[in-house]
Amino acid sequence: MEFGFTIAAYAVAAVLFILSLGGLSGQESAKRAVWYGIVGMAIAIVGTLIGPGQGLFVVSLVLIALGAAVGYQLATRVQMTQMPELVAIMHSLVGLAAVFVGFNADIMINNVAEIYETSGLVLGAVGEDGYTAIGLPKETYDGLSSFGQLIAKKSGVEIGILRVELVLGIWIGAVTFTGSVIAYGKLAGKVNSAAQKLPGGHMLNAGAAALSLLLAIMYMTGSGSWTLVLLTLLALFIGYHLIMGIGGADMPVVVSMLNSYSGWAAAAIGFSLGNDLLIVVGALVGSSGAILSYIMCKAMNRSFISVILGGFGGAAGEQMAVEGEQVPIDADGVANALDEADTIIIIPGYGMAVAQAQQNVAELTRRLRAKGKSVRFAIHPVAGRLPGHMNVLLAEAKVPYDIVLEMDEINDDFPNTDVAIVIGSNDIVNPAAQDDPNSPIAGMPVLECWKAKQVFVSKRGQGTGYSGIENPLFFKDNTRMFYGDAKKSLEDLLTRIS
Amino acid sequence: MKIGTPKEVMKGEARVAMTPDSARQLQKLGYDCIIESGAGDAAGYNDDTYKEAGVEIAKTAAALWKAADVIAKVRPPTEAEIKKSREGQLLISFFWPAQNEDLMKQAAEKGASVIAMDMVPRISRAQKMDALSSMANIAGYRAVIEAGNNFGRFFTGQITAAGKVPPAKVLVVGAGVAGLAAIGTSTSLGAITYAFDVRPEVAEQVESMGAEFVFLDFDEEQQDGSASGGYASVSSPEFTAAQLAKFRELAPDMDIVITTALIPNREAPELWTKDMVEAMKPGSVIIDLAAEKGGNCKLTVMDEKIVTDNGVTIIGYTDFPSRMATQSSNLYATNIRHMMTDLTPEKDGKVVHNMDDDVIRGATITHEKQVTFPPPPPKVAAIAAKPKEKVKELTPEEKRANEIAAFKAQTRQQVTLLAVGAALVLGVGLIAPASFMQHFIVFVLSVFIGFQVIWNVAHSLHTPLMAVTNAISSIIILGALIQIGSSSLLITLLAALGIFMASINIFGGFLVTRRMLAMFQKS
Repeated sequence: MEFGFTIAAYAVAAVLFILSLGGLSGQESAKRAVWYGIVGMAIAIVGTLIGPGQGLFVVSLVLIALGAAVGYQLATRVQMTQMPELVAIMHSLVGLAAVFVGFNADIMINNVAEIYETSGLVLGAVGEDGYTAIGLPKETYDGLSSFGQLIAKKSGVEIGILRVELVLGIWIGAVTFTGSVIAYGKLAGKVNSAAQKLPGGHMLNAGAAALSLLLAIMYMTGSGSWTLVLLTLLALFIGYHLIMGIGGADMPVVVSMLNSYSGWAAAAIGFSLGNDLLIVVGALVGSSGAILSYIMCKAMNRSFISVILGGFGGAAGEQMAVEGEQVPIDADGVANALDEADTIIIIPGYGMAVAQAQQNVAELTRRLRAKGKSVRFAIHPVAGRLPGHMNVLLAEAKVPYDIVLEMDEINDDFPNTDVAIVIGSNDIVNPAAQDDPNSPIAGMPVLECWKAKQVFVSKRGQGTGYSGIENPLFFKDNTRMFYGDAKKSLEDLLTRIS
Repeated sequence: MKIGTPKEVMKGEARVAMTPDSARQLQKLGYDCIIESGAGDAAGYNDDTYKEAGVEIAKTAAALWKAADVIAKVRPPTEAEIKKSREGQLLISFFWPAQNEDLMKQAAEKGASVIAMDMVPRISRAQKMDALSSMANIAGYRAVIEAGNNFGRFFTGQITAAGKVPPAKVLVVGAGVAGLAAIGTSTSLGAITYAFDVRPEVAEQVESMGAEFVFLDFDEEQQDGSASGGYASVSSPEFTAAQLAKFRELAPDMDIVITTALIPNREAPELWTKDMVEAMKPGSVIIDLAAEKGGNCKLTVMDEKIVTDNGVTIIGYTDFPSRMATQSSNLYATNIRHMMTDLTPEKDGKVVHNMDDDVIRGATITHEKQVTFPPPPPKVAAIAAKPKEKVKELTPEEKRANEIAAFKAQTRQQVTLLAVGAALVLGVGLIAPASFMQHFIVFVLSVFIGFQVIWNVAHSLHTPLMAVTNAISSIIILGALIQIGSSSLLITLLAALGIFMASINIFGGFLVTRRMLAMFQKS
C-alpha cells in the first residue's frame, strides 16, 4: 500500500473523531457519535497496519485482541458508581503508552546515529543548502524500518526538535501515569483521599520540575539516554506527589486535568513521530480536558492554580458562627411531606453514589411521578467525583434525562418548590457560599435549595462535608435532617409511599 | 384526672367540646372522660356513641362540674358556671378575656385556672390548637354557602339552551383564615372572586386560591401585618379613604360581598358603607362575619338577616360554626385534645401547667388565683416575610450601554488573546524548521476545533465525554504500531506493551461509553 492511502485514512479518522466529540452535545446524537469514534479508530488502525513499514502484522493483531479482551471485561463489569476510578486508571494506560513510545523514539535515534557512524557519516549533518540532510547510502536506508527512515531523513535542527517533543511526551506521559494511578487509588478508597504532602510541599515539586528541565537540557546537548531515564523518574515522582496533595473534593478537576494531560502527551508524541492524526486527536483530547477542568473550577469558584496546589485557600477572617440546631425527622415525616407536596426537587451528591442509592431514588421518583407530582433533579457541575457523574448514575437507574436539570436551569425554581431533598451532597448546597464572605467556599455557585418551602437532608451523621466546612443549611428552620445511610433511609421511605 | 364536658348553656349553640374520637385520644393520654347527658346531641353524637368510646355520662351539669378536674367547653362560661367551678379546677374554653374582665376576675377569685382557646398565640408550634383558625375556616366556608342560599342565581356562569347565565361576582374583604376559606369555596363553586386585604403580602395567597387580589392605587409604605403576629392592625386615614373609594367603585358590580375584617381587641372597622349597599343591585347578598364586633357594614344587625329597601340581603349571623356543628365540634375537640397533649408531657393523665411554655403561658388567663392576662409578648415572632430588596430597574438606554460595554470588553479580550496567540505562533515559526511548522499548523487548528466543539457538549454528558476522549487518546497506539516493526528487540518489546495497553483503553473506553449512553432515556 502507498503512504498516501494511510494519510487519507487518517484524514477520514480525524473528521470522524471531531464528529464524535461534537455529537455529544445531545443525548440522542451522542448515541450515533460514539459509533463515529469507533469507526474512526478502526479506520486509523487498519490504515496504519496496512501502511508502509509495518512489520509484525500478526503480533500486533494478537496484542490488540488481547487488549480488547481485557478492555471488554473492564467495561462490562464496572459499576456506574466506579466510573471515576475506571476513567482514572485508563488515563494511566495512555500515559504509560506515551512513555514507552517516547523511549522507543529515543532508542531509534541512537540506533540510527550508530548506523550513520558505521557508514562514516554524522546524523543530522546538512548538505550545501544548509537545510537538506545528507541521507544515508540508499541500500542502508532501505534496510531501516519506516520509523528509522523518518529519523534518518532529518537534519540536525529537526532532530533537536524531535528530542524536545519526545522529552515533553515522556514527561507529560509519566506525570499522567503516576497521577492517574494515585487518583484511581483515592477514588477507589485504596489511598487516603485527604490532601497529603511530603515535607517540603510545593518546593519539592518545583525542585523536581527544575531538575527535569536541567536534565532535559542535558539530554538535548547530547549527554545520553540516562538523563532521559532520570527525567522520567522525576516526572513519575511529580505525578505522584501532585495528586497526593489534592483532596477528595477536588477530584473532578483532577480527573479532567489528567484527561487533558493524556491528550497533550499524545500530541507531543505525534510531533516526534511526524504523525498528524496523533497530533489532531491529542489536541482534541487535550483541549477537551482543559475545558472540563475550567468548567469544574468555575463551578467551585476556585482558580485552577489553587486546585493544583491543593487544599482550600485560607479563610480571610472569622467564619460566621452557625446558630440553631439540626432537627431530625423520621421516614414517616418525610413521607407525609412528600404526600402533600406538588413540586419536588432532588439534589443528589457523592453520598448517593457511595450508598448505591440511585435505584431507590429512581423508584421514589417513579412513584411520586405516578401520583402526578412534578419531580426534578438538580445537578451541580461538581456533584460526584467526575464531571457528569450524577447524570450517569441517574441514567443507569432509568431516570429520564429530561427531568435532570443543571444548576443554572433550575436554581430560580426553588422558591416555588414544596420539597427539596438533598441526598448525600453538602458543599454544593451550602448557603455560606453566598452569605458568608469569610467562608472558604465564598462565591462558589451553589444550589439554593433552602429557598424551597421544606428541605430534607439525607445524611449519615452530623459531620461536615469533604471540605470540612460547617453547612448552615442544616440549621435552617425549614430543614429537617433525615439521618442514616441513604440507601436504607430511602428503602424505609419507599415502604411508606405506595 | 377526669376531663368533663358540660352541655353548652347558650341558646342555639350546637357545638360540643368533646367528641367520641377525641375522647378516645384523651384516654390514651391517661385521662378519664365524662360528659353531660345530651351534650353532643346537637352535633350529631348521642350518649350511646360516647358510652361506646368509654365516656362516663353525667346526668346533670352540677354532677359533671363536681366530678371533673378539667372542664372543656366551647362558649365562655356564664357566671353561674363559674360559680360551680372550684379551686384547682382547669377550665378550657373560648373566653374573650378583653371583653369579659369581670368574669375573669371572678374565676380567679374562685381559684380555677382558665385557658382561653382564643388566646393561643399564633406561632407555628401552636397551630394544631389554634381553635380560632379552625372555627374561622368553617365560618368562611359557611358564609359562602349561606350567601348562596340567599342569592337567587347560580355561582358559575352557564350557557344553557334556556339562555345564558352570567357568573356571580364575589368580593371577599379580609383575607385571613375565614377570608381564604371563603375564597376557596367561592372559586370552587365557580364564581368570579375578588379579594382585598390591608396586608399586601397576602396577595400571593389570595392568587394561589384562584381569586383576584384588589390592589389600591396607594403609595404609602403599607405596614407589614406579620409584625403584629399575623393580624391586621389599624390603617392610616388616607389609606382607609383610598380603600373605601375602591370599594365604592366595585360595589355596583358585586353580587355577593363577604366581609371578614377584624382587628384584635377593637371594634370592627367600617368598610362597607351605607352608600355602597345602596349602590348594589337588588338581590345581592352581604355576609358580615364581623357582626359580633359591630360589623364591617353598619347596617348589619347581629344574629339576624335583614333585607334593605333596595333589596340587598344583609346577614349578620354570628353562629356560622355552630350551624355546622358536627364539623366544628370535630375540629374544636381536636384542638382541645392537642392542648391537653401539651399539658400532659408525661402522658400519665396529670396536668402539668408549665407557665414557662410560650403557648400555655399565652393562653392562660387565670392561674393560682391570679389574673395572668394579658400575657407577655411571645418570644417567637410570627414568620415575618423579609421585605423584598428592590432590584433597580434599568432604563433601556442603560441596558443598551451595558450591552455595548460588554461587547467591547469581549472584543478586547478576544483581540488580546488572538494577538498573544499569533505572536507565540509566529515566534515558534521564527526558530522552527518548515517540517515542524507543517505539523504545528495541524496542531493549532486541532486545538481550535477542540475548543469550539467541546463547549457545546451537554453538561450531563461530561462523563461519556471523558470516556470517549479517553478511548480516542489511545490513538497513541499508532505510534506503537509503527515502531513495533523495528529491528531492535527493546523497541519491539516496548511497542508491544504500548499496543496492548492502548487497545485495552480503546475497547474499554468505547464500550463503557456505549453502555452509559444507552442508559440515557427520555421520559
